[in-house]
Amino acid sequence: MSFFLEIFLYLAAGTGYWWWTQNLTVFGLAPNLLFAAALCAAILAGPVKAVAWGFFLGLYADMLGANMFGGYALTYSLMAYAVHTLKRHFDMAGLFPQLVAALALSWVSMFFYQGLSLAFAKINPLGLKIFLVEPFLNALAVPVVFQVFYGLKRRTGIL
Amino acid sequence: MSREKDAANYALVFFAALSVLLLLFPASKFAHTARIAVSYSLYPSMHYGAKYGHFIRNVPANFVSLLETDQENRALKNKVRDLEVKLRNASALTAENERLASALRLSRSLPWAGSWARIVNKTPADWYGSFFIDKGSDDGIAVNDTVLGMQDDRAGLAGRVLEVYPKFSKVLLLTNSAASAVCAISPGGLEALVEGKGTWLLKMNYVPEEASVEAGSELLTSPGGLLFPAGISVGKVTKVYPRESFMNFITADVAPAVDVNTLKEVFVVRRNIPGDLTGRGQGEKK
Repeated sequence: MSFFLEIFLYLAAGTGYWWWTQNLTVFGLAPNLLFAAALCAAILAGPVKAVAWGFFLGLYADMLGANMFGGYALTYSLMAYAVHTLKRHFDMAGLFPQLVAALALSWVSMFFYQGLSLAFAKINPLGLKIFLVEPFLNALAVPVVFQVFYGLKRRTGIL
Repeated sequence: MSREKDAANYALVFFAALSVLLLLFPASKFAHTARIAVSYSLYPSMHYGAKYGHFIRNVPANFVSLLETDQENRALKNKVRDLEVKLRNASALTAENERLASALRLSRSLPWAGSWARIVNKTPADWYGSFFIDKGSDDGIAVNDTVLGMQDDRAGLAGRVLEVYPKFSKVLLLTNSAASAVCAISPGGLEALVEGKGTWLLKMNYVPEEASVEAGSELLTSPGGLLFPAGISVGKVTKVYPRESFMNFITADVAPAVDVNTLKEVFVVRRNIPGDLTGRGQGEKK
């Protein structure tokens, strides 16, 4: 049952991100809910699930783009692993660690994806506007998404 | 903890390897199959979202539109309120214009020199006693100048100037219980004293009992009166009281020629009455 719920949550996260980017962008900017979902899943889930969530959410992001299929999958998988490592040293359930992690990991992920793009596709996908603003939007989104995921985990036992 | 770490490492290696394979061989059958498999995850958004998106697509736009409509509604309400106030002012100005035009027409026919003044204050506590006008000594108003009101295209006696200030003056109304005027009863010209009662009616005193006074008789200021020019309408007799056994004169109620309630402007007649006759200097404020 929880497996189907996780599938549903995964699709809901993707659909939510899609809807937000379609309808609620301001100056072409929106929080990356896929990143936020990957980060929150990594905080809440066990090691394998965390990396799997990162991978599949990354694939979803890759499907939405046209550059490199697998680039975000690798990025978010590594990010999930990093979070899994970090949460052994920090209490990632707190608001402040989440904000810091969202900010820092957003930039790290962007740089990493930029490097992958340059290496594999010889393109430069990262816009300055997104680089400067999106991490802050992500930092705002992560605590909210975390509360949703945490509530679902408590009620249904998923993640 | 070690098992968990191992699981994390294995998971990372597995998924990272999968990703790298997808990155390295984007045109392979494996990558193509993966794309097709993952594309199903896009169905909820791309297919159903697009199909039923019209239910939620316009939510932000509708919300913004609602806010804008609310703001517009408030702005329009304010505008309507302003326009209502302006309309009210305009109708008041129109009425005033008509009144002043009528008064101007009338003032040309008046035989006295004077100036128009606007009533600027009426005290509810002294409604039939006095009011203030917006002309004072700077405009040549003097104590005891006669104050006329216009009603039904006729000039009638309203009162006299009681106190004069540089920019405004106080008018003592004829209806004030301290005011009086010597009047001639038309058509015979019999003189009587009309006094204020502090109400909307005047009282006529000291009419000889043999005088033929009837309701409807008009009263004009008498040439024998000192304060007011002769021939100004004071009012009409409304009721004549029979003589009391202990009095040798009769009294009557008089409706003033000027209704204080509807008075907006008055015509102040320059009298140039010598100060020593009227105590003018006492009333003038510097």
